[in-house]
Amino acid sequence: MRIGQRVLLASVGIYLLLFFGPLAGFDLFRVIGEIANKPSTLLQQLLIGLANGSLLALIALGYTLVYGIIELVNFAHGDVYMLGAFMSLTVIGAFNVDKGSSPAIKATAIVVAFLSAVVFTAGVNALIERVAYRRLRNAPRLAVLISAIGMSFIVQNVGLFWGSLRAFFPIMGVNSAAPKAFPDLIGRIDVFKDILHIDVPIAFNTKDLLVIVMASVLMIGLRLFVQYTKLGKAMRATAENRDAAKIMGIDVDRVISFTFLLGGALAGAAGLLVGLYNNTAVFTMGFTAGLRAFTAAVVGGIGNITGAMLGGMLIGILAAFSDQYFSSRWTNAWVFAVLVMVMVFRPTGLLGESVGQKA
Amino acid sequence: MLKLRPALTIGLAAAFVTFLFGGWSIVVIGLLAGAMTGLNYGQRSLKRTPREIGQEAIVPGLVAAGMVVLGGVVFSYVVTPAVGKPLAYSLFLKFGKTAVRMDYFFVLMISIVAGVLLGALASWYMASIQGLPEHTRRARLIIVLVVFLLIFPFFEQITNMQWMAAVITVQIFILLALGLNIVVGYAGLLDLGYAAFFAIGAYTAGLLNSPQIDISWNFWLVIWIAAAVGSVAGLALGAPTLRLRGDYLAIVTLGFGEIVPVVFRNLITVTLREPITRICFVGCDPVKEVRNACLYACTGPLDLTAGEKGINPIGRPLIPFTPENLFGANYLPWYFLILVLILFSIFLIRRMHQSRIGRAWMAIREDELAASQMGIDPVKTKLMAFAMGATFSGFAGAFYGSYISAIFPGVFDFSVSVIVLCMVILGGLGNMVGVIIGGILIMGTDRLFLPQMATLLKGFMTATVLPNVSHPALRDFLTFSLDPIQFRLMLFGLVLVIMMIVRPEGLVPSAERRAELHAGDEAAGAPPLEAEVAAH
Repeated sequence: MRIGQRVLLASVGIYLLLFFGPLAGFDLFRVIGEIANKPSTLLQQLLIGLANGSLLALIALGYTLVYGIIELVNFAHGDVYMLGAFMSLTVIGAFNVDKGSSPAIKATAIVVAFLSAVVFTAGVNALIERVAYRRLRNAPRLAVLISAIGMSFIVQNVGLFWGSLRAFFPIMGVNSAAPKAFPDLIGRIDVFKDILHIDVPIAFNTKDLLVIVMASVLMIGLRLFVQYTKLGKAMRATAENRDAAKIMGIDVDRVISFTFLLGGALAGAAGLLVGLYNNTAVFTMGFTAGLRAFTAAVVGGIGNITGAMLGGMLIGILAAFSDQYFSSRWTNAWVFAVLVMVMVFRPTGLLGESVGQKA
Repeated sequence: MLKLRPALTIGLAAAFVTFLFGGWSIVVIGLLAGAMTGLNYGQRSLKRTPREIGQEAIVPGLVAAGMVVLGGVVFSYVVTPAVGKPLAYSLFLKFGKTAVRMDYFFVLMISIVAGVLLGALASWYMASIQGLPEHTRRARLIIVLVVFLLIFPFFEQITNMQWMAAVITVQIFILLALGLNIVVGYAGLLDLGYAAFFAIGAYTAGLLNSPQIDISWNFWLVIWIAAAVGSVAGLALGAPTLRLRGDYLAIVTLGFGEIVPVVFRNLITVTLREPITRICFVGCDPVKEVRNACLYACTGPLDLTAGEKGINPIGRPLIPFTPENLFGANYLPWYFLILVLILFSIFLIRRMHQSRIGRAWMAIREDELAASQMGIDPVKTKLMAFAMGATFSGFAGAFYGSYISAIFPGVFDFSVSVIVLCMVILGGLGNMVGVIIGGILIMGTDRLFLPQMATLLKGFMTATVLPNVSHPALRDFLTFSLDPIQFRLMLFGLVLVIMMIVRPEGLVPSAERRAELHAGDEAAGAPPLEAEVAAH
């Protein structure tokens, strides 16, 4: 009986999706046809999805770390990532490098930009926690959430103000709100064709490689850090039970601050990487990316580090697919639709059940 | 011993307005500041006769109004020259189409005298009615308020203050905030996608009363349909999501609020086809839709919402036996229409709040488990809150569409939801008076102060600062980077964070909320006697 109902419900749902989906670009028959006609595009989109997804995963980690430890959706996190992009843009602008500069200068600029962006965003994130969240630690949860929304608006407008400082940073361009051109320092050299000399139908260039490698290194590093260091253990303990952790002599406030530092650092790295990958930065990028990354964290199971990585990849691939096969105008709607579906039908996410992994 | 601190605070805040606007605003703001002071002082002394209370409030009223007047004088003799404007700008009276230009000094004198006198009078009267029995007090307050609301627009028109457009926007947002207050304030559900219902109401009204799909139904019918569609949308969003906990619900509603404008932006090529007939077996090309049963818009895809271009023009309301262009460029009919809508909504919401469903909302907010043990169906109650909140948003949307006469998807983004939330939180969750005051403060700042401040700042820069700055980068920074309008959203962010940290119950909290947020915090709670007297 119950199974019958479920089957009925599912088939009605699928029928409605097929019926109304084409309005939002989801025309299954056309999509299948396109995939069948040119399967290499599918692989190419998978690759783009992986690159974008690893960036999303870096941001999602910040959400998931903070949610794991104080059960707060840190709305401002996406905007901290935007500040990371702006910081690295400013540093690269100060080096005055562009596409044609010598590789040594480019590399120095990137390294300095990376370090400054990471330090800066880590500091900003910890500062946000100190100013807007710490005093509300025992307040109702909605109070902290509202404070976080407010913080997100503040940070976003700091970005807007920063973008208007063309008088001091010429790289910010003429218009304060318009997207900024991020210098293309990596170049687009095809790894398979030009370096390995293998003939494959998909393009995999140095930018994709850099993003995927960097993101993987950072994520694996974080995973190991949380698993094996003393501070990581303290983080896990605090996430598990704050009061018990306190009794055991863990300085909970310090651990929480450190978690924010860590999340902010990852966001800053993502900010630099996305600037190098997309060659553009705009002050609203944090909001969209933040929502996508939050969706990724929820899909993977919020509070779960591996889940955030997995969710980031999945959402990245979904977005790439939607851009290619559905309609790029509807991509955000599809991502949010997934968010709503996961929240409603499986709020714990894909990997969210094992509480022991929560960090 | 008379405490003047509240009067000074109110006076300072109000003087800030006249400091920016000057001229005739001194009269209105002086009156308002006096009234606020009177209300404030009247509440503080409950054991004297109304006459005594009133007399005690005269001096604070004078102080507040005096500061307002001072702000106006500073505007005239310091601000105006500093921004490089002639002293006599835009001071004339307008009777219909005839304008009477007036001497600047004369106007200033009249408004100073009127401001001070009205301020003291308002303070005296407002304080004295605080001492009356509850039902007389309420009746008098309502009469005073109605008289003010009726006179103000005519005063505004005659003195040509140019505030009406902003005032109507403030009213629209107050209607929105009243609706959101049901969801967030009464039922305690954080809804971050409230702009979606606003959009749904506006687009419903737009589609049913515009050449877009060639339907032009009467505004008076459409506004009800929009409200109904809004409430159905509220049910549709609420039904699957209400099991979620607080912050998850917030995110889902946020997602919904993001999807809805995307939908309206992109529904420009609508065709519906039956899917099963399109299933293609071996031997046919799935790309070329071989067999399909077209159900809707078959001759060519239908442009439902016109995308970024928006729906334009939307029909205006018509009233029988009045000129057809009554709701035209003139603001007054719109002002009164939205005022009636707001009053009607306040009436409805008050009745609901005091009824069984209103008590159920608050019970759910306080403790869902306990409430459900008491026989309250949490799902039904929450759904009702969502639907009612969305209904008033639909109202506001329909009015907005007809008032602006064109709607664009970009108007209904996340910042609208946050601004409305900001109004509710600043004023005081769950208290309609607070929400209205919060709405006036937030939207008044957004639509009146900031534009005025930006104009003045620009004038100040060109007239006073720039001639003394020679460094090119600094000049560019001063002219280009410092623009208050551009950073208006930061203000709302600051309001949210500061309110949460300093005063989470809002400026004018409801009694229950204050008790709840300051449980065990005796200093902030009302003394028992006062609370008891206030309850009667």
